[in-house]
Amino acid sequence: MPMDRYADMEDKLRILEDLNMMYIRQIALSLQDSDIQKKIDHEIRMRDGACKLLAACSQRDQALEAAKSLLTCNTRIMAYMSELQRMKEAQVMQRVARRSDGTRSSDAGPMDDRLPCKGKVAISDLRIPLMWKDTEYFKNKGELHRCAVFCLLQVGGEIHDTDMVMVDRTLTDICFDNTIVFSEASPGFELRVELYSCCSEEDYSAGSAPRKLASKLSSSLGRSAGKKLRVAMDPGACSPTSNAGAATLLLPGPAVAGPKYHLLAHTSLSLSHVQDSFRTHDLSISGNEECSYWVPLYGSVCCRLAAQPHCMTQQMMSGCLKVKQLGGDPPSWTNVYGVLKGTNLFCYHRQEDMEANVEPAFTIAINKETRIRASEKDPHSKAQSICISNQYGGEEVTHTLSADSREETHRWMEAFWQQFCDMSQWKQCCDDLMKIELPSPRKPALVTSKQGSLYHEIVIDTSDDISTVTDILTRRMQELELRSQLGTSPPWMSLFEESPGGPRTPRLARHSPRSPHRLPHSPLSSLRCPWPGLLSSDASLTSDSDSPCSTSPCSRHRGWAEPLSLSSPRFRPRTLSLDAKLSTLRGRGYGGVLQCSCQPPSSSSLAPIPAQCVPQATLSCSSSTSSNSSSEGSHSPSSLDGTPFSRPSSARRSLRNLRAKLDPRNWLQSQV
Amino acid sequence: MVEWEYNNYLMVVKVLNDFLSKLNSQCSCVLQQRIEIRKLRQGEHLILGFSIGGGIDQDPGQNPFSEDKSDKGIYVTRVTPEGPAEVAGLMMGDKVMQVNGWDMTMVTHDQARKRLTKKNEDVVRLLVTRKSLEQAVKHSMM
Repeated sequence: MPMDRYADMEDKLRILEDLNMMYIRQIALSLQDSDIQKKIDHEIRMRDGACKLLAACSQRDQALEAAKSLLTCNTRIMAYMSELQRMKEAQVMQRVARRSDGTRSSDAGPMDDRLPCKGKVAISDLRIPLMWKDTEYFKNKGELHRCAVFCLLQVGGEIHDTDMVMVDRTLTDICFDNTIVFSEASPGFELRVELYSCCSEEDYSAGSAPRKLASKLSSSLGRSAGKKLRVAMDPGACSPTSNAGAATLLLPGPAVAGPKYHLLAHTSLSLSHVQDSFRTHDLSISGNEECSYWVPLYGSVCCRLAAQPHCMTQQMMSGCLKVKQLGGDPPSWTNVYGVLKGTNLFCYHRQEDMEANVEPAFTIAINKETRIRASEKDPHSKAQSICISNQYGGEEVTHTLSADSREETHRWMEAFWQQFCDMSQWKQCCDDLMKIELPSPRKPALVTSKQGSLYHEIVIDTSDDISTVTDILTRRMQELELRSQLGTSPPWMSLFEESPGGPRTPRLARHSPRSPHRLPHSPLSSLRCPWPGLLSSDASLTSDSDSPCSTSPCSRHRGWAEPLSLSSPRFRPRTLSLDAKLSTLRGRGYGGVLQCSCQPPSSSSLAPIPAQCVPQATLSCSSSTSSNSSSEGSHSPSSLDGTPFSRPSSARRSLRNLRAKLDPRNWLQSQV
Repeated sequence: MVEWEYNNYLMVVKVLNDFLSKLNSQCSCVLQQRIEIRKLRQGEHLILGFSIGGGIDQDPGQNPFSEDKSDKGIYVTRVTPEGPAEVAGLMMGDKVMQVNGWDMTMVTHDQARKRLTKKNEDVVRLLVTRKSLEQAVKHSMM
């Protein structure tokens, strides 16, 4: 009977697990490492608790949370077990080596034995962008397909999980707000980020237990573990205890009916990815659209990975020193209390000053460019002195220090060597101290119904008419005009004053129409004036209007000859496009807008020309090559309308360049 | 001496490329063209002599060269006259599909730029597709 087989398999699994645990305990005992044993026991208790919770709970959210803790506990147990195994192997290897050698390996030079200091590694603000397609992606049961996702972060034996996030089509990114700090990481650390997801539509009812159990058993054991299991279950196969040295049978734990998370994507980060700002990394995605747990990932993950090596945050060495005063014969020495921390040697007058947080008397830099050597015995003093040389702007400055005794000098030299070793290992982390914000004490998990996406955050009130916006803006322009009359105009105002024609000169760049052959749309849509002719970075806001810019030259001319009024516009462009509104909202922040007057709705509906006001694009980012012109890179319409204009100064250009590059609405061009 | 050789080489390459592109435009089954560009050293930079636009992180609607305004591919927006790219036959408006075997149809702008500007590569082999080629095919098929 099939039921018996499953029960049989379950029994076998349990027996194997018990054997495994016994084996692990033996190893732990032999290693006399009670620490890991305690951790394993703790995790096993947690795991049992999670299993019980999973079996008992009826709510989907609870089940997902419990399944998440189950997965985390399992992963931790596996990590501890493999660590234990590694330690055992190392011990065995050492014993073998010692036996064959007969002697202990001699100490090599001081540099070889030196281990770099450990440090804190923190990862925060994880954001995984999604890429929803228009095509029907999921087997749509009429409801929004939702998945529960969370991240597992692992450095060595330390495993942390983030909070769980529900993902559905309304989300543009998966954001994890947690900051996760690993306190003892070596510079060669490997931070493994794994994204797990689980479809949240399955039925977790208790019925049809055997079938569910069978499917769970078969699916819960990964391919390699399953293979091992099959091997182990073969009669006559070697028992786990004889697998010392080889891979032990690491079982994933009891199979429980309930939601099951699957690995969706993973990546590994290391020291080279550490930076004091946000960076994007590639994700390796496992799984495809056919899986139930599929979430369409863009393929990258953004996060901030910072590291604080201990040498930058802790005092590595401190003691009394004597510093030789430059110049003068016989040389005089000053007594200071030196503290080596980070990339500096702080010298205080007295030890009490340091404790009182008084500013140090002076600071000697100890960084990658510093050279330190112990000099020959000074005839005037008994001990060796230490010379620290730095390059300050091309000039070499040498400080000579001396300690009280030979041992002290030796200790200081050791500290300096250790510092150099740390800096060479931690590389960019030692240039400047990176900030790590410690996570605030965990609040009880707030279950929000929908995670806010960018589109939800932007509030567009239907009562917000463009007219109110234009009112605000005209008021502001008037204010600015007043101010400019008083002589204090904002810097961007001069953009308009630069051109000989004054603010009335249309600074227009042409945009090639989307498709010259497409028929123009209804009047409303064709009047989508790119409302914010923002001077700074919105260099290339296209209007959706398919107005045939390239056709009738007279209409073209008409549009451009239109004088721009900085005061209240003659016409109020009516537009409802989201683009325009979004840009308007941004325009408020930029504090200035060039108003463009468009043809009023009453005029010909087929050929309205929105005068596009765009700051003269010296940017490579503006995409305003007209469809006819084959001039490379020339964005100036001056050849076409004959109105001269002058290029703004390079400083403004570079600022606009930067803004344009950061503005996602620009179409970047790069020269290669 | 070296200059003369290089000019000579340029001329030869140009002639070859003209010939090839003529062949290409007449050949009705070619939709894609392979272009090999040898980088030119200018000071401490290796340049190719063209500019690119596009990318999956860019707004495809602003691409003046694409037919399909949702195409987020990488397009050649400028070709420096007499530069290595022009000599090799690259034209403005070409869509770059591959660079040295790496796919360029689903990359960010920065990734594309990086794949073209690898310091240890002297030569980039591009696979491009050109509207005129496609149109030629369409015309020949109609």
